[in-house]
Amino acid sequence: MQKSGKSWVSPWLSGSVPVLIVAAIPALIFVGVLLYFTGWALMFSFTNLELYGRKATEWSFVGLDNYERLFTRRGFLESLWTTLNFTFFSAIIGQSILGFTLAAVLRNMYGGVRSVLEVSLMLGWLLPDIVAAFLWSATTSKTGLVNQLIVIPLGMEPVNFLNDYALPVVILANIWKGTAWSYLLYSAALDNVSKEVVEAAKVDGANAWQRTRRVILPIIKPHIGTNLLFITIWTFTYFPLIYALTGGGPGSKTEVLSIFLYKQSFGIGKLGYGSAISVAMLVIVGVMSLFYLRLLKEPE
Amino acid sequence: MADLALHSVEKTFGALKVIKGIDLDIRNGEFIVFVGPSGCGKSTLLRMIAGLENVSGGTVEIGGKVMNNTPAPQRGIAMVFQSYALYPHMSVRENMSFGLELSKTPKAKIQERVDIAAGILQLEPYLDRSPRELSGGQRQRVAIGRAIVREPEVFLFDEPLSNLDAALRGQTRVEIARLHARLGTTMIYVTHDQVEAMTLADRIVVLNGGEVAQIGTPLELYRNPANAFVAGFIGGQQMNFLTPEQAARALPDTALPDGTETVGVRPEHLQQVTGGGIEGTIDVVEEFGEYALYHITLDGDALPSVTFKSSATGVGAMGDRIHLRADPQHIHAFDAGGLALSVPTRH
Repeated sequence: MQKSGKSWVSPWLSGSVPVLIVAAIPALIFVGVLLYFTGWALMFSFTNLELYGRKATEWSFVGLDNYERLFTRRGFLESLWTTLNFTFFSAIIGQSILGFTLAAVLRNMYGGVRSVLEVSLMLGWLLPDIVAAFLWSATTSKTGLVNQLIVIPLGMEPVNFLNDYALPVVILANIWKGTAWSYLLYSAALDNVSKEVVEAAKVDGANAWQRTRRVILPIIKPHIGTNLLFITIWTFTYFPLIYALTGGGPGSKTEVLSIFLYKQSFGIGKLGYGSAISVAMLVIVGVMSLFYLRLLKEPE
Repeated sequence: MADLALHSVEKTFGALKVIKGIDLDIRNGEFIVFVGPSGCGKSTLLRMIAGLENVSGGTVEIGGKVMNNTPAPQRGIAMVFQSYALYPHMSVRENMSFGLELSKTPKAKIQERVDIAAGILQLEPYLDRSPRELSGGQRQRVAIGRAIVREPEVFLFDEPLSNLDAALRGQTRVEIARLHARLGTTMIYVTHDQVEAMTLADRIVVLNGGEVAQIGTPLELYRNPANAFVAGFIGGQQMNFLTPEQAARALPDTALPDGTETVGVRPEHLQQVTGGGIEGTIDVVEEFGEYALYHITLDGDALPSVTFKSSATGVGAMGDRIHLRADPQHIHAFDAGGLALSVPTRH
């Protein structure tokens, strides 16, 4: 629209400069705060600022030291690997595929079963993270529900799942917690696929798998891109459920970047190093988002 | 190419019976049109032939084989949908070759068939375009092309022209007629538009409330409608229905059969007279150039309005009084149940 020489602002706004300025204030404040915090993190990532002690006040610039540490000290790379595993299996594989499958199956169902499944999905999503963490912890601990109901009756030794299979349990918990979002988004996307197009594919001889892969998925590709973009960002920076469930442990088996960042910044108190971690996370998420945004583009 | 037969075909959705036992024999190469008002079951019947709806009762046979439980792709049919139903993410060529590709047809063969179909439908310049870059008429031609390349034994069309504008509809109608003449394949065509039915069909199946109201050639239906429903549905303009008293005035020298409840006269079979006949006032004049339609409110209460079609000049203007008589050779008498009675004076 700008090319036509006209303002892109709605005529109601562009008619009056004071209105325009007033309307822009919230946006300016929002952008300003955002830039301030990002700038703050970026600046302190080049310092040795600490939370307590002498360096809390007498900090100095240390150049790229903090960034060098990301790669030379133990912690960051291991944590990045854990985060990538967590994100890939719980969000991209778990939530997205399960969400799509549920959306595809449930849309052809009516009545009780569908309602029950939808309500359970929503409950997982709506339950506060801390409550969900307690539930999962109670379910998977040595005296928990899984052991009481399945393992012990089968005559086997009870297993402390949360200790022995910490990352898989955390991944499962996050799949359970987050699938509702993908389900909702894919349900809406599938509503946009014309019934006649799917029927045309049926007449053309496509079986259910071919209809899904060759017709439905390509049509909803932009929605898949949007969904993956959202859930990747959320999962990559996800903190409360994991922290409440395992605290990053045992050892550092479930120490994703957000927990690593938290421990470095507020546990040990190295705010400068913590800032460098957060900047690194920002860059990684940014690169992933660019990849998804390419998916979002309508095919030429 | 194949014969197609329906025997006592029924369709129920829960407690609702939408198709109530339809028998139909379609000969190889025939162009059959299912026509009827919305909700009459014509699309459902087509979808049952296509294999997109289960058959609740009776049998659907194609080429002598019962197809009730045969999946759509193995029925030897191809379907053209109202919304075109093109695959939006594929080019025109990919849209047309998708079905053949799935059936593992060799690449060279696919290319050849797509090129032939594109030639027939003048789609060559658009083969590499995406459907969104095409106009409505072009999209519908692609949808037809996609059906042609499958070389089906039966073509099924589900209201294929409904989404096109009037001019394009006329043009595409002729193209479909030409295509039928060229391919000679059995075609079943669903429409609610009686013009499409009249112009395209070898035989028309008029459906009403899930039942066959009448089957016949377009002219049979026009000249000898079996009931008041068909009489009212088929024809360029809706038939006028007169009470026996009005008919007695419009047809002074004609004896009507016993039991006549309504008399049908088409607008083109009324004649203007200077006095006598039925009398009324012209409400609206619709001028079409080659002829005009005069909508007239008759004096009296029962069935007070009729339409009169005339190409004569000076018939009258809005508000003018008019006297009309019916041509006794072209009248239709119906009993209380709406069934046609034979009229001695008719040819």
